[in-house]
Amino acid sequence: MKFLLLLAASLATASADVWTDAFTLESTPIPAGIDPQIGGLDTLPDGRLAVCFHRGEVLIYNPADQSWTPFAQGLHEPLGIIAESATSMVVMQRPELTRLRDTDGDGRADDYETIYDGFGMTGNYHEFAFGPARDKDGNFYVALNVASNGAGIRKEIRGDWTSIGVPRETMDNSDGQWGRFKDKAGRMYSRAAYRGWVMRISPDGKTVTPFADGFRSPDGIGIDAEGRLLVTDNQGDWRGTSPLYHVEQDKFYGHPASLVWRSAWTRNPLEVPVPELEALRTPAIGLFPQGELANSPTQPIAIPADTFGPFAGQTLIGEMNQPTLVRFLPDPLDGISQGTLVPFLQSKNLGIGNHRLTFTPDGALWIGKTHLSWAGAQGLVKVTLKDKHPFAIDSVHLLKDGFEVRLTEPLDPASAKDLALTSHRYLYHATYGSPKVDEQTLSITSTTVSPDHRTVILKADGLREGHLHVLNLKFLKSTDGKPLLGDLAYYQLTKKR
Amino acid sequence: MPRLLFLTLLLSLPLLAEEPAPTGEFLFTINCSACHLPDQQIVGPSLVEIRGLYEKNIDGFLSWAKNPVQKRQGAIEMPSMAHIPDEQLKLIHAHILEISKGLKQVKQSNADPFSLSATIARRPNLLRIFMPDAGPAAIAVAVDHTYSYCWDAGTCRLRYLWRDGFIDGFPVWKANGNGLPNVVGTKILTEPDSPLAQLSGGTPPKFLGYNLKDGLPTFRYRLGNTTVTERLTASDGTLQRHFTLAPPPAKDLLLPLANEKGVTWTHLKGTPGKGILEGPLTLSPAEAAAFTLSLVQP
Repeated sequence: MKFLLLLAASLATASADVWTDAFTLESTPIPAGIDPQIGGLDTLPDGRLAVCFHRGEVLIYNPADQSWTPFAQGLHEPLGIIAESATSMVVMQRPELTRLRDTDGDGRADDYETIYDGFGMTGNYHEFAFGPARDKDGNFYVALNVASNGAGIRKEIRGDWTSIGVPRETMDNSDGQWGRFKDKAGRMYSRAAYRGWVMRISPDGKTVTPFADGFRSPDGIGIDAEGRLLVTDNQGDWRGTSPLYHVEQDKFYGHPASLVWRSAWTRNPLEVPVPELEALRTPAIGLFPQGELANSPTQPIAIPADTFGPFAGQTLIGEMNQPTLVRFLPDPLDGISQGTLVPFLQSKNLGIGNHRLTFTPDGALWIGKTHLSWAGAQGLVKVTLKDKHPFAIDSVHLLKDGFEVRLTEPLDPASAKDLALTSHRYLYHATYGSPKVDEQTLSITSTTVSPDHRTVILKADGLREGHLHVLNLKFLKSTDGKPLLGDLAYYQLTKKR
Repeated sequence: MPRLLFLTLLLSLPLLAEEPAPTGEFLFTINCSACHLPDQQIVGPSLVEIRGLYEKNIDGFLSWAKNPVQKRQGAIEMPSMAHIPDEQLKLIHAHILEISKGLKQVKQSNADPFSLSATIARRPNLLRIFMPDAGPAAIAVAVDHTYSYCWDAGTCRLRYLWRDGFIDGFPVWKANGNGLPNVVGTKILTEPDSPLAQLSGGTPPKFLGYNLKDGLPTFRYRLGNTTVTERLTASDGTLQRHFTLAPPPAKDLLLPLANEKGVTWTHLKGTPGKGILEGPLTLSPAEAAAFTLSLVQP
């Protein structure tokens, strides 16, 4: 009896560690004296890492000799960096997008050039500034967090103020009156210019375009292998669960506070009828079920060519509150972006706080962790692929009456049974978060394996537009008996085929 | 044989389990774990503390969860959990009691673990951080061990000077920015406006960045059509403030200089105004192209 329990326990442990069977995780010591919360991470052309820390340092890490050298200091909560070269880096700080340059060749930045600071700040703690992402033409994209009614605003603000909403004097943080007015401000509010927007800045910094609005707390902004601008946002008001968006110019992404910065906009967003907002908003291309897949998704990053085996070219996304990363598998349809999110590296050994991601030319993934006093972690983790033939979902393709799931390796056809499919949706409302609603278990009418054993075709009744479809593939095994790496696929079905 | 049968049964359990009702642990993970740890305060109070408040008061717990208000100075107010049905909130309550059982609150030091690090202790030093009595794009600079100042990149001007200390930024760094640093030392001079405000011609100033030399910044910014550089240095115990103006003004420049209980600026080059303590300093266009002010203290 005891023997059996132990055996069962060890089997359970083994199956929980499939990720560390396939990947190696190593943590990298951070120099003493540095608060090791990482806000920005990028790879220099020479393969070294540029790392931004919570208290404003930028250090360069050389994986070859494990050395750290200082590059810059004194930045205000930097939350993203692009290492243009060993002598030039572009950093998003709370108040501005800045280019750090080493002009005298001593290895340290001596010039801090402001590229863009034309957005507003109320001093509210939640007005984080994320990015930059850079497209193939060299344009920068930054994402501006709205303020939280967990606090008011400071006496002095920067930039334009909108009079739409409760009077400014009622919002002052410093007089202790905020508690009386906070409920009227909106859970998250945008009263200084362009909070809740993604801004595009031309390569020379001279042309700034308010690019898209409707964001809440868009910590993740990146460009995928196809050149698409992807942005993640965080569950909360108007976010039933955390979404992933494919962001295009002039579109609205659902959080109404930022609408006040549209030219000619005059109404209080809190008073706009929900159906009108619903009609205006662009649907998410992926949804992260709160508590199951991700609570606070972070940076999307394209896996480079010839990296991570079969995952090359796909998009990885970080996550703060669950011990996992997430992989996005697009399934575009008639110009509509939609697709599947799948857990990646879902392992206690990875831990939480997975904030910034970068790949080095040797094919390693580096993860910078932070918490900013929320749940999270700190430090730098290196991930390398050990198993050259990982068994995982390669793509999920919507059919008229089901899904076609392509796998990276052939499966044991006998294991293609007991698949499960459910669907549900989330409410779009001003209330914080949402329960799952309209949950349904779909009956699977047939499961077929392709002759090459690489594809499972699952037919089911009752696919629904506007619903998240959850495919449970946990019994699939490869021909050599390996379980799937990431066995739940979350397909956000916007449009049926 | 019975052994094998039992094993099979154990392994098949997940197969038999149909979508179970959510457990308290699951609900807690989804809704609460981002801000509450078992035995120490992070964003919200620890479960040990919540246990102390609500162990025998489930009604109080339910009403708090649905309608929270900010109770603690400097803390973030919890979002309402009104979307969670009462039965599920009760499961969360039970889970909190379960996992906080026997735990003690971990005493957290309120001291900055990095207060001695070079990030804070180096002189000179520059830290961009929220500052009291300034706009949100503030910069704190320690010129040396004596003089520090706050410069505002939003309004492009010196806000105030203090001596005998720098800042304690831990109230900001320990969390997510919802705090202000303590200014360490004694404030000696606050400038109500830029002495160069007249150059703006009614347009907002534009911050262009700064260059670091010997650890000290030379700020550059535009006021109207004038590009200004401003750099504060200290030598022999005297604080100096160096400006360049390009192009230089077309006519004499009158500089209203702040004066706080006799602490003010004097001019090292050119012609001082008729008693700088009574009136503005006058600089000719040639003098205004590059000039240095020196701090005077009674």
